[in-house]
Amino acid sequence: MRDIIERPPEAGAPLPPLWKRLAWFAGLSLSGALSCAAIAYGLRLLLR
Amino acid sequence: MDLDALILSRLQFAFTIAFHIIFPSFTIGLASYLAVLEGLWLVTKRDAFRTLYLFWVKIFAISFGMGVVSGVVLSYQLGTNWSTFSAVAAPVIGPLLAFEVLAAFFLEASFLGVMLFGWKKVGPGLHLTATVLVALGTLMSAFWIISANSWMQHPTGFTQLPDGTLRAVDWMQVIFSPTFPERFAHMVMAAYLTTALVVGAASAWRLLRRGREDESCLALRMAIGMFAIVAPLQLFVGDLSGKDVERLQPAKLAAIEAFWETRTEQPFHVVAWPDRAAEKNLFALSIPKMGSFISAGSTQAEVKGLKAFAPSDRPPVFIVFWAFRIMVGLGVLMIGLGAWGAWLMWRTTGPETSRWFLRAAVAMGPAGFVAVICGWIVAEVGRQPYVIYGVLRTADAVSPVGAGQVSASLLGFMIVYAVIFTIGVLYILRLIAQGPERIAEAPHDPNRPPGAAMAAAPREAGQ
Repeated sequence: MRDIIERPPEAGAPLPPLWKRLAWFAGLSLSGALSCAAIAYGLRLLLR
Repeated sequence: MDLDALILSRLQFAFTIAFHIIFPSFTIGLASYLAVLEGLWLVTKRDAFRTLYLFWVKIFAISFGMGVVSGVVLSYQLGTNWSTFSAVAAPVIGPLLAFEVLAAFFLEASFLGVMLFGWKKVGPGLHLTATVLVALGTLMSAFWIISANSWMQHPTGFTQLPDGTLRAVDWMQVIFSPTFPERFAHMVMAAYLTTALVVGAASAWRLLRRGREDESCLALRMAIGMFAIVAPLQLFVGDLSGKDVERLQPAKLAAIEAFWETRTEQPFHVVAWPDRAAEKNLFALSIPKMGSFISAGSTQAEVKGLKAFAPSDRPPVFIVFWAFRIMVGLGVLMIGLGAWGAWLMWRTTGPETSRWFLRAAVAMGPAGFVAVICGWIVAEVGRQPYVIYGVLRTADAVSPVGAGQVSASLLGFMIVYAVIFTIGVLYILRLIAQGPERIAEAPHDPNRPPGAAMAAAPREAGQ
């Protein structure tokens, strides 16, 4: 678990450019939503 | 008692929801706590906030997962065990549950990924945004579930068609039914208190075993602040909710207070042994006139007793009466713990130095979960014999399935839950026992004085 959860950036460490951070934010959140949808529709298929 | 499909289905739902409610009531509070910790770390740069965040986010992730898995089971049961209820009420209640999944749960699931895997990738500001959105998602989830349940307690804004099915005619009345505001506030505060009790117990445990450490002191004081402020507020909101019950569900109130006769100057039974068959309390320790005062705001108020309702319309008394007393008793203990902790912070060297207080905080760790489960027992058993109060009886809502089928699935749930939840809870307890782990600490070299320019510099092997 310690390795899976990402720790905060070190103090003073340079941040990636804003576009890259926004892209990661959108990508990770979309991945989360899609994973959730895939599981939900998968479970629904089991009922058919 | 004949263990037919109805009783077994009720047992199954009670069993699965009692396990489920443990996790959301913890994660609702924990998500907000994480948002507060992260926000305070960004503002103050105090490392203890970050350490606490990284410690509790692991526990949040596991609890969230277990909450999701146990919650899915409940929605399936609406189809398998309560298909008549679903057929009758789905046009009204279905959209509320769908909003819970689509708006709240998807919000949580989407941004949980950023929260867990994206701190370095998205930077501190966007990470805090994700944490706040997850916290909002948990609150929205509670909003829709309490909205659906409040409607079942006091249905408004609907009409019944000739075929018996229900249709919404005013969605605002459906979503914001009269008891909703107090019940939502009561549930959210219960979740916050539950989390604060666990955080307080974990911190107290560390302080008892490891002595004074910054993170545990800080977390304990934050938890005391929550008990001291929210526990008295909870009592006030709970009283408002009780007044709603007196007005809108008088049979439930009569069961909660074990009132049998309709009268003014009802006594308040501190403890009692209600007997449904004899229609009286076999034993009662009571305070005269206080029952009317607490229930309706005046000792002269007439409050209905159970005999005012046909026996077939009365909820079970014993379980509702005692579940309510356990819930309120624990709430009073929470207020006491908050007052004690606040006094220790104000007048002494601090709660960290009082071993008796720390032991009490550890003992109160599970109290929030017990109080939440008891509160739901009061709400749900007290609504019986109806599943939708005054509209649909529980006996008419069950699926046309046999007792054998339900008992097989109930047995299956018991075995699976015993294994999965035991492993999950033991793992969470193990993580809590390990305590927060400081990160990025400079290695201390006893040969270099603390604070020296080279004190934190890594040494080469062999030096």
